[in-house]
Amino acid sequence: MNAHWNSYLNKNLPRREMLKLASAGFGQFALAGLLGATDRNPLSVREPHFPAKAKRVIFLFMHGGPSHMDTFDYKPLLKRDHGKPLPFAKRKVVSAETHNLLQSPWEFKQYGQSGAWVSDLFPNVAKHVDKLCFVKSMWGSNSRHGGALLELHTGSDTFVRPSMGSWVNYGLGTENQSMPGYVTICASQSHGGANNFGSAFLPAPYAGTPVGSVGVPARDARIPFISNKETPRDIQRMEIDYAQQLNRRQLEDTGPDRALEGRIESFELAFRMQAEAPELQDLSGESETTRKMYGLDNPVTEDFGRQCLMARRLSEKGVRFVQISHTYKWDQHANLRRDHLGNAREVDQPIAALLGDLEGRGLLKDTLVLWAGEFGRTPTAQGSDGRDHNPEAFTVWLAGGGVKPGFTYGSTDDYGYYSVEPRVHFHDLHATMLHLLGLDHLRLTYRYAGRDFRLTDVHGHVVKDILA
Amino acid sequence: MRMSVLALCATAVVRAQTGETFFEKNVRPVFLAKCNGCHAGAAPAGGLKLDSREAVLKGGARGAAIVAGKPADSLLIRVVRHMEGNLKMPPGPKLPDAEAALLAQWVEMGAPWGKSAEPAPAGGKFWSFIPAAEPKIPAVKNPSWVRNPVDAFVLAKLEEKGLRPAPPADKRSLIRRATYDLIGLPPTPEEIQAFLDDNSPNAFEKVVKRLLASPRYGERWARHWLDVARYADSNGLDENLVYKNAFRYRDYVIAAFNKDKPYDQFVREQIAGDLLPESPALDTQFERWTATGFLSLGAKMLAEDDPVKMEMDIIDEQLDTIGRTFMGLTLGCARCHDHKFDPIPAKDYYGMAGILKSTKTMENFKVVAKWHEYVLAPKEDRDRLAAHEARIEAKTKEAGKISGAENRKLTAEAKGNVGAYLMAAHETMLAGKTALKPLPAGATVLVEREGSSFDAGNASKPLEPKKPNTEKDAKGPFFAEFKIEAPRDAEYQLELLDEERGGGTHDLHINGEMVKAGLPPVQNREASPDDGGWSPLGIFTLRSGSNTIRLQHKNRFPYFAKLRVAPSPLPAGTPVPRTAVQIARKHRVNPSFVEQFVEHIERSNGAAASALYAFETFGKQRPPGEWASPAAKLFEGFQSKSIEDVANRYQELFLKAMESREAKDAPLDALKEFLDEKFGPLRAPGNARDYYPAEAVAALVKIEEEQKLLEKETPDYPRAMGVRESAKITDLPIHIRGSHWTLGDKAPRGFLTVIAGDRPALPADVSGRLEFANWMTSKDHPLTARVMANRLWRWHFGRGIVPSTDNFGRLGERPTNQPLLDWLALRFVEKGWSVKSMHETIMLSNAYRMSSGYDSAAFEADPGNALLWRFNRRRLEAEAIRDGIMSVSGGLKLDMGGTILSYKDRQYVANTSKRGGVDYERDIRAVYIPVVRSSMYEVFTAFDLPDPAVPQGDRDSTIVAPQALFMLNGAVVLKHSRRMADMLLALSGSDADRIRAAYERSFSRPASDKEVEQALGFLERIGKVLPADSKDKRALAWQSLCKALIASNEFIYLN
Repeated sequence: MNAHWNSYLNKNLPRREMLKLASAGFGQFALAGLLGATDRNPLSVREPHFPAKAKRVIFLFMHGGPSHMDTFDYKPLLKRDHGKPLPFAKRKVVSAETHNLLQSPWEFKQYGQSGAWVSDLFPNVAKHVDKLCFVKSMWGSNSRHGGALLELHTGSDTFVRPSMGSWVNYGLGTENQSMPGYVTICASQSHGGANNFGSAFLPAPYAGTPVGSVGVPARDARIPFISNKETPRDIQRMEIDYAQQLNRRQLEDTGPDRALEGRIESFELAFRMQAEAPELQDLSGESETTRKMYGLDNPVTEDFGRQCLMARRLSEKGVRFVQISHTYKWDQHANLRRDHLGNAREVDQPIAALLGDLEGRGLLKDTLVLWAGEFGRTPTAQGSDGRDHNPEAFTVWLAGGGVKPGFTYGSTDDYGYYSVEPRVHFHDLHATMLHLLGLDHLRLTYRYAGRDFRLTDVHGHVVKDILA
Repeated sequence: MRMSVLALCATAVVRAQTGETFFEKNVRPVFLAKCNGCHAGAAPAGGLKLDSREAVLKGGARGAAIVAGKPADSLLIRVVRHMEGNLKMPPGPKLPDAEAALLAQWVEMGAPWGKSAEPAPAGGKFWSFIPAAEPKIPAVKNPSWVRNPVDAFVLAKLEEKGLRPAPPADKRSLIRRATYDLIGLPPTPEEIQAFLDDNSPNAFEKVVKRLLASPRYGERWARHWLDVARYADSNGLDENLVYKNAFRYRDYVIAAFNKDKPYDQFVREQIAGDLLPESPALDTQFERWTATGFLSLGAKMLAEDDPVKMEMDIIDEQLDTIGRTFMGLTLGCARCHDHKFDPIPAKDYYGMAGILKSTKTMENFKVVAKWHEYVLAPKEDRDRLAAHEARIEAKTKEAGKISGAENRKLTAEAKGNVGAYLMAAHETMLAGKTALKPLPAGATVLVEREGSSFDAGNASKPLEPKKPNTEKDAKGPFFAEFKIEAPRDAEYQLELLDEERGGGTHDLHINGEMVKAGLPPVQNREASPDDGGWSPLGIFTLRSGSNTIRLQHKNRFPYFAKLRVAPSPLPAGTPVPRTAVQIARKHRVNPSFVEQFVEHIERSNGAAASALYAFETFGKQRPPGEWASPAAKLFEGFQSKSIEDVANRYQELFLKAMESREAKDAPLDALKEFLDEKFGPLRAPGNARDYYPAEAVAALVKIEEEQKLLEKETPDYPRAMGVRESAKITDLPIHIRGSHWTLGDKAPRGFLTVIAGDRPALPADVSGRLEFANWMTSKDHPLTARVMANRLWRWHFGRGIVPSTDNFGRLGERPTNQPLLDWLALRFVEKGWSVKSMHETIMLSNAYRMSSGYDSAAFEADPGNALLWRFNRRRLEAEAIRDGIMSVSGGLKLDMGGTILSYKDRQYVANTSKRGGVDYERDIRAVYIPVVRSSMYEVFTAFDLPDPAVPQGDRDSTIVAPQALFMLNGAVVLKHSRRMADMLLALSGSDADRIRAAYERSFSRPASDKEVEQALGFLERIGKVLPADSKDKRALAWQSLCKALIASNEFIYLN
């Protein structure tokens, strides 16, 4: 800030404004949006409603609907009764016809102190079961990818609503003002696309920042507009300085104007982001051991490994909500044996590495890791080697920040077709996640179109039993 | 909306710590969250309502819910504590003890109730439901400021507060403001000069009229309307299908603004254009159909397994949009219950929903559903098209008949030969146990050939990865043959290097005989993880001397790098595993059915319920008692020495089962079920056609070619999204809690009772949409004109007189100056609903011409400028920023209309494997850039383009770092700053002149001498930093200057 500018502030700003500047610091003040509607930086850190166990979230999204009976929900009776019809009624609304029961092609074993059953699809994650908290009685309301993705991400399969990451960002702000608070890496463009990380009616700064998208290899994923190939950094700095000179001169004519002032600072922030963000995506600084651990040396695990490693780095830097996506791979209506195996091989080692790495760095205790798909699959066969969508039952697991380690909550019927009470709906998962972050899902509201909205709509119960 | 009850909690006014506060804080939230879902509204469960004190005291079918002061005697308390036998409330988890205790405490306190959120009064007393009355034009202290009545209304409010309006804006600011405001572009230096030179009293009026006459006006103001019409070029809720024809609606809106279509007509056409008396002029008729696209443009769940839910969700979206867009009402709230704040009962909601239910928006509600489109062609052409489409459909049926018959023949053969199939499957599985392994390193190789070096074939050379490797338009099968010399008759292993698996792998033929069928394509991934390097095809017999190895594929030719042949690596004496094809040949059966049997048996693997249990468990020491199928009976006492015995036994039994098809016999029925199992091994295989007789294949090919030709010949008429009357006119029942599983009383089709009053029922043979549109646009409708007048004001001033532009209900904001709004609304109707005349009235006022300058005293009194003591300084919208940049560079193209989407209608715009390939970097006006839901143009998203899923009349104007990043790195900025630099450098004169020109274009004002000097200094500094050898050094420096000007606040803020 030059001397001229200082003297301008002293002379012209009302005392009240000056106090705000002094106490909040210029950076905090800067991003004030909505032309005087608020004088708070929408992304500045906000206190939670109550002390939080988790400070941030890493969401590992398995798009397509992994089969719970073939991964974490061991069903011995399914093996026994293979080929028989399901002995009770199927769901009224289904996405495809399924016939008789289909046993899992994979063997299950017990692991760790907790003795959790894990199939042979996840031999590496299995080594970490004592860190995991399984929720096996999940259910959702929608049997199609689009609806189910939207339910999982936004709580609504009917309307466009803010995504859970944007609610978290809105509730807590971001710890690192040089980074976006909510990042989604290689997200799907389909099945709701940007609605799954959008802010809907919440102000735009709370939306997820997409880094790459489906089809872009993780190694090429970038934040939009983060760089250009034409302008050298020193030239760019000079351009900004010159524009800022014009801006400050203009302020002499206009008098105090929060928007104009905020925009001046937004350029400084952008310049800092340009420096910091690419550095976070550049994994060359990671040790050989780490790179190997995440599977960056193997073409099978490289892409998801890179995503996992980026997630750790972003979390470390204070990004509040990071989502990584194994995009639309888990939808095995057919070729279950081949493709579930292929999928698991791509993610198993990287996920295990992430869990170990977070723990090793002391991050796991206040980072909530969530592994979930949009639904599970039917224990009944579709075609000869496939399973249909099943929103009535599936398994997710959480780890870290405030959940019971080595714990299993809830269950499904003998075959895994329906989850049984106490069932956990997406709304309950959302309520629980917010709770772990120190937010009361009933109090985290936003007024829009004449009513106060919540992530959990009019639903949601915190699953107290899984809290550590 | 089912969740709208929440709003209550939030509006609860916290007063002193009274009973009322206690109620609001502790009791109402419980009622709302846990009870009012059923116990409120028109049809409360058990007749009990928990939405007013009276209702609670009165109770329902079981009597009073509470006895004030006596929790122990209150049914409500006993029920939530599960003390009333089976009557336990709420359903689901028991109310936490803490909450139950608070309810009890409240009853103890005498059950005080809050005042803040009583149900809305039914009489429509709220201001917005009362038709506007002609307001008195207020007398003001300073009449000289009043140029038209708008000023009197504004000034009166200011004077009430002792405020003075700001002085007039200077002429340069004013023309920049008005030009961006009306056409979304900056004024040209010539236009500015003309205005400066014009000293006539109506100089500004001339500017406004000139701008209103420009076709650019419609492009700017249509975009405002498109915000509230939630316009988009793709569906984007779940399945992102292209609305290829949505652009016709957009162009309709642009034309409507340009020709100043009366607003009432504009509204009528959008709701019921198709129902207006048919126009003899085709263009007029097409325009009306196109207008109804408004109802169809919403984001829909197109893949919803529950068609009834899908339809009701679409209707809800339409109704909510109609409510917000035209009336500023949140009708959607009443889907689940009576609106809690506005007089919109669920009965009215379903009355209006019935109108839309009787309207056809969709062709079907399948997964993925298809929306209706009009064919914009004369009737004769439309009839011809329908007949043509029927012919195409007939071809599908014709082909289905042939393949159906052939499939039946194939399966009949297999069903009659189960025994042979079982044995073939058995051998195939045995062979599979000898896992093929790539040759060990250093193994002897007989021959190794480059893939592209084949000796004969019709695959194209050289073979390339991810290419079809076929000549264009050539017909398959495609093949490549290698001549291989073998030293003697022996077994050899064949391998391919880097075999591609995109569309399935090759079939293998040796010496004219097929020995291996290709593997199916790999789904969902580029390649399966294990097939890098050499993949073994199998071990096959070659004869001494010349052999022909042929690789073949039906419709393309997958790439592979090399082929090699080596002596079998198996130890001598080991049986050589044969392929399913070879084994099938030996047993004289169809290899595809063999594979299906293998798959079935491997999956079942001796499952207790399997009909083939005896076969699957042969030799496995499994007790026969475990067999749980009725078929077990057929094997009682059966002794077998070999697996052939079992297969033969099955053969006999299956024949028997087929002979006695009709007879009831439980054990045999189990086998019959197996024969007919839809996904069983005896289903027609996916490649059944490979086994059809040549005549059948030829017939199919002929039909398919004819069909393709017909498809090609389908006349391609323009189409438009739109709605029409449904074949069935119907009333809807009230959906309790918005669910179609719980239906209540019928709600006859009708309008909003609080405004429309009691009306005769709508005729039974029409949907009522036209009547609805006419009611909406009647002169005495209290909302329609007000809502639009307020929108126009908002778009001019950056803030509505009612700031919540889309909500005129109780939870919306109150007008800051209702007389002004009413006066405007009445003038609007009086002037024939002319939007352009509204622009003139508003813009020619002194209020519009005020400066945006700062005044500390006024700022203290009214920091938000609600009373309009100055003009609001405003950031340009996304479109104006982009178009402005292109305009100052001289690069903006002014082509009008049409679509640049390269997709076909209903094509997925952004599929799961790649980003929607829309070319956003075009230099046409922003309004013509497609709005692809959930894959929007990043520039627009960064600058607050509203989510196109919901109506938005009041855009945000945030300031965030990504916007600055765009200014630093965006392709648009880079391209057009360079263009601007080149344009400036092409001017004659000095650099100082060029700088003045740049300022004039960017800021609509000349540069001061000091600014010229600073800019020259900047150019010099940049020149020093740029590498001496850079090409275009001068242009690069000027580009930097232009970038800085574009990035500056003055560029994107209007004074």
